[in-house]
Amino acid sequence: MKLRKALTGITLSLATAIAMTGCTSPAADGTVTLQMVESLTNPARTQVLKSLIADFEAKNKGVKVQLVSPPTDQADQKLQQMLQAGSGIDVLEVRDLTVGPFSKNGWLYDMSHDLDGWTGWGALTENAAKFSKNAEGKSYFVPYGFYGLSLFYRSDLVKEAGFNAPPNSWQELLQQATAIQDPSKKRYGYAFRGGKNGYTNVTVAIEAYVADQIDVNNAYKLSSGKSIFSAPEAREALKTYFALFKQASPPSSVAWGYPEMVEGFSNGSTAFLLQDPEVIATVGQSKAIGKDQWTTAPMLVGPTGKAIQPMATAGWGVASSSKHKQEAVKLIKFLSEGEASIRFTKENSLVPILKEAVDDEFYKVGAWKSYVTMNQKPDVYITAVQPRDASWWTEWAQKADTEVQQVLAGKMSQEELLASWDKYWTEKWAK
Amino acid sequence: MTQTALPTKGRPTSGLGAPSGPRKRTFTVTRGLIVLAFMAPAVIFVAIFTYYPMISGSQMAFRKWNLADLTDTSWVGFDNFTAIFTDPTFFTVLGNTAIWVFASIIPQLLIGFALALWLRRRFRFRGVYQALIFFPWAISGFLIGIVFRWMFNGEFGVINDLLVKIGIVDTPVPWLAKPGTAMFALVVANVWYGVTFFAIMILAALQSVPDELYEAAALDGASKPRVLFQITIPQIATTLALTVLLRVIWIFNFPDIIYAMTGGGPANQTHIVTTWMIETTQRGDYGHASATGLIVVAVLLVFSAFYLLALRERKEVRS
Amino acid sequence: MTSHQSVVGRVIRVLFLTLWAVITLFPLYWITITSFKTPGAIFSYPLAYWPEEFSLENYIGLFQKAQFGTYILNSLTVSTAAAAVATLIAMLSGYVLARFEFRSKSAVLLAFLVTQMIPSFIALGPLYLLMVQLGLVDQKLGLVLIYIAVCIPVSTVMLRGFFANVPDALEEAALIDGCSRLTALFRVIAPVMKPGIIAAFIFNFVNCWNELFLSVTLMNSDENRTIPTALNAFITSFNIEWASMAAAAVLTILPTMVLFAFASRYIVQGLTAGAVKG
Repeated sequence: MKLRKALTGITLSLATAIAMTGCTSPAADGTVTLQMVESLTNPARTQVLKSLIADFEAKNKGVKVQLVSPPTDQADQKLQQMLQAGSGIDVLEVRDLTVGPFSKNGWLYDMSHDLDGWTGWGALTENAAKFSKNAEGKSYFVPYGFYGLSLFYRSDLVKEAGFNAPPNSWQELLQQATAIQDPSKKRYGYAFRGGKNGYTNVTVAIEAYVADQIDVNNAYKLSSGKSIFSAPEAREALKTYFALFKQASPPSSVAWGYPEMVEGFSNGSTAFLLQDPEVIATVGQSKAIGKDQWTTAPMLVGPTGKAIQPMATAGWGVASSSKHKQEAVKLIKFLSEGEASIRFTKENSLVPILKEAVDDEFYKVGAWKSYVTMNQKPDVYITAVQPRDASWWTEWAQKADTEVQQVLAGKMSQEELLASWDKYWTEKWAK
Repeated sequence: MTQTALPTKGRPTSGLGAPSGPRKRTFTVTRGLIVLAFMAPAVIFVAIFTYYPMISGSQMAFRKWNLADLTDTSWVGFDNFTAIFTDPTFFTVLGNTAIWVFASIIPQLLIGFALALWLRRRFRFRGVYQALIFFPWAISGFLIGIVFRWMFNGEFGVINDLLVKIGIVDTPVPWLAKPGTAMFALVVANVWYGVTFFAIMILAALQSVPDELYEAAALDGASKPRVLFQITIPQIATTLALTVLLRVIWIFNFPDIIYAMTGGGPANQTHIVTTWMIETTQRGDYGHASATGLIVVAVLLVFSAFYLLALRERKEVRS
Repeated sequence: MTSHQSVVGRVIRVLFLTLWAVITLFPLYWITITSFKTPGAIFSYPLAYWPEEFSLENYIGLFQKAQFGTYILNSLTVSTAAAAVATLIAMLSGYVLARFEFRSKSAVLLAFLVTQMIPSFIALGPLYLLMVQLGLVDQKLGLVLIYIAVCIPVSTVMLRGFFANVPDALEEAALIDGCSRLTALFRVIAPVMKPGIIAAFIFNFVNCWNELFLSVTLMNSDENRTIPTALNAFITSFNIEWASMAAAAVLTILPTMVLFAFASRYIVQGLTAGAVKG
């Protein structure tokens, strides 16, 4: 009978543990709780989202939204686990990168019927409406905003170095950045991206150099059907681009990803940064550089005089495993129209999805001006679709990043890099 | 994973060593029940929360399991393994893992041993000293990685600043941006973290060496090195050997510091098998990743078996 | 021995011990100094080895912008519960493994050793599914249960070593007196090996306190976050908040450091009891 005592002991301690943790049980009063998972998490954005959710809850009694904000590092993996398990997820952040695999795996709910006759359609910009439906007319997500590159630069340093305007082309960037670089003063020219997703800037440079021949529906393809990496101009692009690293960037930028390069700019140590508009808000909060010391310029052109804008987007979608799809769609509609959407894009500084926001004074001044310029000259700043929906995209990204670092470390030549990339895509397309 | 001590009673007969304590007793029903009841909670917990997920996860190693397309998860036999063994990166990564393990463990052992030897003697403030230097072990690998990444920062890192001030280098070194220096920085962080473990284990072992042995040696007028090599080291050899084995297993499987400091870069040059596996998972190729995991278990099992066998033979030769 | 000690040996010893103390403590000093600088000041050059003014901004931010108090409490609850239960369970299994011979014994020990070789990443997905089925996702109980399982193998083997060093005679006397095994274990043996038990508990506690990947996978809501997850969240997609991270690191390290400082004697004592003699 002493045995029972032992078991009682264990049960008791377990019970204590349970009591200490306090279980939450689902509400019995018919309240629907939506689980919403974000993946490009950052504290400021989470704050905005939470306040928008509060507005939504106030207008929709009986619906509660629980926002799940995993650390960015782990977010994708966690999201995939939740989707695979098919539980605990109603609304999620879907990106142009993830929509392909997610929908193929049957994880996303096609909202097209629910969005039929939605009053919000008319208010969307052309791009937003386009990205809300895929080629087959299915709506797996509604974009919450767009990303597009512009050149962040330190107006004071550019002036000090004797230039009266920011660089317009990659060649000019190399020239100015080299002039500004002075390691002894902890001052560097360009916030080079050598780490995670560093290949994206390499392709941006190449695309600018082959802009005349590019296939706008697939920015990795020339109109001839060959890959952009096979073009002789691509070699020129790489020469300039890697010279930037050698002559005008902090040596440790080999390992810089998004956060490090933004930090390198906002802590005042680098003069140029090629980045998304989101960064406008981050740099705006910098304590190291003042608002009058920096602004943005349009993207850098190649010898063609043109540049390719790699349009990227993300938005909100509904999980196919959700038991509350109606409410979930309601939330997405709420976030995609009127005040809520405008606040979201403004406070996170994204290119907006609503026509009325484009005309907003906010988007016409300061760091946003370059985006207006780029919009006004669509034949100079050409929007071309990056093949980011390819199912092998993440595999490609890892391969490309590794090889860029190999070039930086001197273990691979620029020609070898281009040959390898050309071979990779040509083989993928042939399949 | 878990990092704790594993003292085992001496004279291992099997690889894991049966304690010398128990004497053969006649088997009775009551005793059987006691064994069952006392073992049950431990076995049940480990079975449900460790083995079930592991076995369930292992089956992906023999299937096509890529998040890019889960509509096809057919069985593919050993395809994932073949893919790994034909990937040149795998061998780079394996080499890195070996460097990571041995470059970390040797200084850990030496410094830890020295610390333990000197801490064995009483001196003023020994307690305070011990309390102050034992803490690194209580910090998570991830946090250590973050702290050292900050200190090794190429532009604003304090390590560069100090080296320049002292005059060892002229210009700041981009530590984490070059393959060689990046691995060096990682090993420094790992040594900083792991010395304590050896120090504690060895100190504990030293204190269990009977004082009479030293007294006898002192009477014989034995020199210090002789005392060290003929009394101290043989006395604690088993602890040393087992501690080293455990550390090898843990460090092999210890991605946290690398994950936080370099993420395996630049150009895969600091990837060890486990961080490489994390990256494979992030790419969505779960089949590939779990095959890598199984290879890790196999490598470690084979290594442990050989190690323990060698240990046993040496022991038999000696006795 | 002290009398034989040469001056040179003494100097080397003092130098070595001092140097190592400096090396060990420097990162802690540096992260503490960083935590008291303002977010702008940490990037000022030349580096300040002593901030001109101590700013509490980063610490205040932790409690205002993030619920750092909640995270600390969560980590404390989960780690204490898991470490306590795991130590208790490991006492039972360690005792049996030290005192009894049975057929599956080496199999159990081998199975426990193998748990140390499995990279945890292989099991994350299935583990998440299991917790979904048990309804334990985003609940501290779920995390506690898993942490218990993680802690059991090593603490079992560790405690087994301690039990083996406690003379049989002790509990035999108790058994003759009519005590049950359990009473003998807890009333008679446990007090003798208190340092060992404390050592096992601390190891378990530290492991749970530092665990990141399982916690991220299983916890959703902000109310259930543990400290390592919160730390990881300072690396956002477009910024690494070094200043906040430094403050959070100091708050994370302090409790374990204090615990270790108080317990270091027990740890060495406890391990000595179970240590191997060649």
